[in-house]
Parts: sequence; C-alpha cells; structure tokens
Amino acid sequence: MGIISIEKADHLYWLGRYAERVYTTLRVFFHIYDHMIEQPEGIYAKYCKRLNIPDIYTSNKQFAQAYLFDEDNPDSVVSNMKRAYDNAVVLREELSSNVLSYVQLALDTFQACKKTTAPLLELQQAIDYLLAFWGCADDYVDQEDCRNILKCGKYVERLDLFIRLDYHREDLEKEYRKLVNRLYKANLDYNKENLKHLEQIIMDKGQQKSYDQEALGCLGGLIS
Amino acid sequence: MRELVEHTEGINRLMARFGVKFGIYKNGEFHEQLFPFDAIPRVITGEDFRILEKGLIQRVDALNLFLKDIYGEKKIIKDQVVPEEFVFISSGYLPECEGICPPKGIYSHISGIDLVLGKDGEWYILEDNLRIPSGASYPMIAREICRRVSPKTFSSNQIVDNRNYAELLKETLDWVNTGGISVIMTPGRYNAAYFEHSYLAERTGSELAACSELFVENDYLYYRDYRNTKQRVGVLYRRISDEYLDPLTFLPESLIGIPNLMEVYRKGHVAIVNAPGNGVADDKGIYYFVPKMIRYYLDQEPILKNAPTYLPYYPEDRKYVLDHLEKLVVKDVAEAGGYGVIFGNELSREKLSQMKEIIKKEPRRFIAQEVIDFQDMKVSEGDGTVLRKADLRAFVLSGKETKVWASGLTRFSRNPDSFVVNSSQGGGFKDTWVLSQ
Repeated sequence: MGIISIEKADHLYWLGRYAERVYTTLRVFFHIYDHMIEQPEGIYAKYCKRLNIPDIYTSNKQFAQAYLFDEDNPDSVVSNMKRAYDNAVVLREELSSNVLSYVQLALDTFQACKKTTAPLLELQQAIDYLLAFWGCADDYVDQEDCRNILKCGKYVERLDLFIRLDYHREDLEKEYRKLVNRLYKANLDYNKENLKHLEQIIMDKGQQKSYDQEALGCLGGLIS
Repeated sequence: MRELVEHTEGINRLMARFGVKFGIYKNGEFHEQLFPFDAIPRVITGEDFRILEKGLIQRVDALNLFLKDIYGEKKIIKDQVVPEEFVFISSGYLPECEGICPPKGIYSHISGIDLVLGKDGEWYILEDNLRIPSGASYPMIAREICRRVSPKTFSSNQIVDNRNYAELLKETLDWVNTGGISVIMTPGRYNAAYFEHSYLAERTGSELAACSELFVENDYLYYRDYRNTKQRVGVLYRRISDEYLDPLTFLPESLIGIPNLMEVYRKGHVAIVNAPGNGVADDKGIYYFVPKMIRYYLDQEPILKNAPTYLPYYPEDRKYVLDHLEKLVVKDVAEAGGYGVIFGNELSREKLSQMKEIIKKEPRRFIAQEVIDFQDMKVSEGDGTVLRKADLRAFVLSGKETKVWASGLTRFSRNPDSFVVNSSQGGGFKDTWVLSQ
C-alpha cells in the first residue's frame, strides 16, 4: 500500500465532491423544507435555478420526494449519494473498511427511508454518517496524500455550492483558504491562474457586480 | 453458542455495513446482494482437521506436480497414467504456457478444494479449484464480527483463530515475488467477487489495481501512480480468468487484460498467482485422475476420497452412466458456479433420454457422479432450525511450504430440496470452526 494511481486519485477527488454535495444539499434542503410549510407552491424553482438543475417538479410535495429519493433523477440527492458510494467502494484499501462503512451506512439510510412520511427525521442519520465518514477519514486514512485529495474534492464542491447559493463573502473566503491549504499539500496538478483569479473574485464579492459564473468557471477548470 | 446465534440478525447487519456482498447479473443488469450468514458454525474437531490437512496438502502437492509435468516433461502422459487426449482437449490447457516454469515452480498458490462430509463420516472431495478460487474473505470478516458479538463463545470453546488468512496469503505472495510490489488485479467493481478483491488488498497491504493502472515496459510489469512515477510489480495476484489476461496472447478482444503480460511472465520477471494454465488440472474430467496422480507423483495412497466418478469417455463407464443416469449427477466439465449440474432423478423420461443422446454424442463433455448422501447441517430459520445441504471450501496455500488454512467457507443451500450451495444460486454461508483439540 502507499501508491495512488491516477484512477484512485480521481475516485478520491470525486468521493470528496459527492459526499460534500450530499451533505450540503441535504442541509440546505432542510431549510427549504421548513420554508415550504408557509410558502406557496413552487418555492423550489429558485433553488433549481441556482444549482443549474432542471426544474422537473410539479409541487412542493413531489419535489420533497423526488429531489431526495428518485434514483432515476440524476440530480436527486440519492443519485449523488450513489455516486459517492460508487467512488468509495473502489477505495477500500485506501480508506479502510471502517471508513468505507460510513458511506455504505449513509446510502443504506437513503434506501431505507424512501417511503417514510418524515424524511428529515430519518435523513438526519445520513448527515450523521457523512460527518462520521469525514471524522473517521481524518483518523484512519493513513496516507496523507489520500486525505488531501479527498479534502480537495470536498472544498471544491463546497465552494461551488456556496457560490451558486450566494453565500456571504466571509463563508467563501473561509472555504477558499481550506481549499488552498489542501491543494498545496495534495501534489495535484492545478491551474495556478484559475486559483489566483478565483481568489480575486471571492475577495471582491459584494463590492462589484456578480462574477459567479466566472468563479464557477475557475473552479471547474482548477484541477485537471 | 446460543448467544451468538441469537444475534444472527445483528451480525448480518454489521456485514451489510462492511459491504460483505457479491455481485450478480440479472437480465443484463448488475445487482449487489448480501451474502446471508448463518451463525451456527460448522465445527471440525482438531483430530478431523489433522486428517483433512494431511489429505489436502497431499492432494494440492500432487496437483502442483501434475501442472509442472504437463507444461514440462509430460511424464504422466508418457507413462499412460492420464490419457493424452484428456489433457490436450481440456479447455483449461493452454499451449501458450508450454515450457514456462513459474517462479519457485509453484503453479497453484491458492487452491480452493470443495468437500462434503458424507453420512458415513468420511470427507469426499467434490472438486478442485486451482484458477481463482474465491470465498476466504467471508469467513474472515464473519469471525471478526462474531468475536465482537459473543466473546464468551470464543473464550469458552477452543477455536483456532482463522484471522491469519491475510498473513498466510501475504507470505505466499512474498515467497514468489520476483522483486517489486504486490498487486491484486481485479476486473473491476462489477465483478461478482469484488468485495473479496478489495478486502484482501486491504488486509494484505497489496495494491488493488485494474488493468488500466498496470503496463508493461521493457519486459517488466509496472504500476503507475498519479504523479506519473512507476513501480515495478513483482507478484500479480490476478482475479481475472486466463483468457482475459493478455490480449496479445489470449483473447484479443479482452479489455481487462495487460498487453505483453505473458512475455514478462515467460521471462520470469513477475509471478502470476495462480499460474495461467491451471485449468487443465481442475478440469472436472481430470478430477477423476487425481488419486492416480497422488500415487504416481508421491507414491502414497490418497488420504481423501473422490466422490465415485465415471467418465463417459471410457466405454465401460459410459455404459454404466447410460444405464444408471436416473440416480447419478451429471456435470458439464466446462461449467462452474453450480451451473451445468444435472440431477438424473429430477429429469423426466423424455429429458433423460435426451440427456443420454447428448452424452453419447459428447462423452468428453461430462462426468457423472454418484449422489453422495452427505450430512445436512442445521441452519437458523425463524425461531428454530432447519436442515440444509452444505459443502466446505478448504483453502490450501502453497508457498515455501504447503499450508491449510484452519477454517474455510461453508456454503449452504437455502432451498430445502437443493444440493446446490453456490452464492450465485442463492446460498448462504457459515463460519468454519476448527477446534484446537
């Protein structure tokens, strides 16, 4: 053990991205779900637009079900969870069975509570498992490079989502710093120009017109 | 043990958490299934195990000598112990391996020998698996979990710890390593045994790699990392079939092989575990000759018995098979995984006569065996137990010495009327306890 192939590096990076995507979108969904109690139908449309995913939903209720659990919908949270699992399952010897088991448990939670009438109650467990996954990865993934690549994926995804969801400059700055820290350590090839430009956009946020699309472009082309 | 059995459901839940699964294809789609675990173990006494151990070592040593002979001098054929045509028309015989002597002269490093315990108390060998036998990982992880669930069961019974399989495997791989890293080669996560590939890689500290991560350069095999540096591979524990190993030697359409791998192997620059071409020795037809091999190579009487077997290829045996087909089990030598097994007593009169015609037409394609009246095993069902057919896959590792793992995979049929225990056919598994006394 100790050698990371290109394929494994790719799986580590995308595991980080998908695990983070599930975690953050679930948390955001919790807020939307709360708003849906008083708000009119169609509140999800703005969210879909921000995330640049097709608004194929017909009602608040249908959105709550399909966005969370529809395995045929490539943008659903469960589809992203399955992608996280697909990347994790080929990394047993890098992650260890212990770390991998939390991804399995998170996926199993989605599948077990598909028909629940209180999805948020049950899905809290999935959030807990994802947090346990990250904690366990910090503790049990022996190779530093593995941890760094995994975290690069995590922070790229988090920044991507935060930009799309119009988070405050302070939040973006914080995540940007975490990403840079991991990027330097991970020995991955990355585009230095994109990183510099991304920093500028984040620092200028709020003072100028929105450069979200440019920022997302920089982020998308950051790691080859 | 009651405490352990009471927690069967909880144990299975933990297995699911650790991804103890196997993959199957249904209607062209890949599905992952849990491998149901029954906590009532198979128990083998120390005394029984010593006999088994001796018999298994004897058998695997003879099979290794047979492989060396077949791809070398062919003395056993010249001495007419095994008919020539039987060897060379076997689909497992690979002319491309002629004259190659693998590192340290070992062909079958990991042998999975399937046995059943007859009602007469005797062990019978059902088949030898010398290509890529799978299954060791399941009892390994099951034991780990069972010890957590009921430590008392293990402290109050003298059960040999079976968690040393990874060490035995590592020792075996290291012994034949030609200088480099140890790699477990997988066809990928959609392979039926992917859990095992990844679990063994984790436990032995080997790299788990697919073909795209491996390449040949100047007659050496390398593994490439993400910084584009290469590491020489000294031993390749491949979990893909011979025909897919190297598209330049075997199937040109193979997308999961490594071009030029056989050239590296031929030059002795990498050990391939198990050696390509082993299929000639675990062919269901060759099985008939294993007791003869033991006498021929080792000058010993076989310790373990074969199930009474007939080769329709021989006119005398053919006559017997055709006359008694309704009480025999017929196996297609080209099939594996429980497929191609036909029980004569389950065939209608019409099917029986069709089968006879096929046997007459293709006598080399089949073997026929007496149905062994083997002991049923207790399996938990609901609050009670039921009796089911079960076999044992014993794992024999050949490195510096030949060693038998003091455990094994006990598979059982979940269908009350079935003798087929394979996981792909819906079977479950048990832990196998070898007692130290």
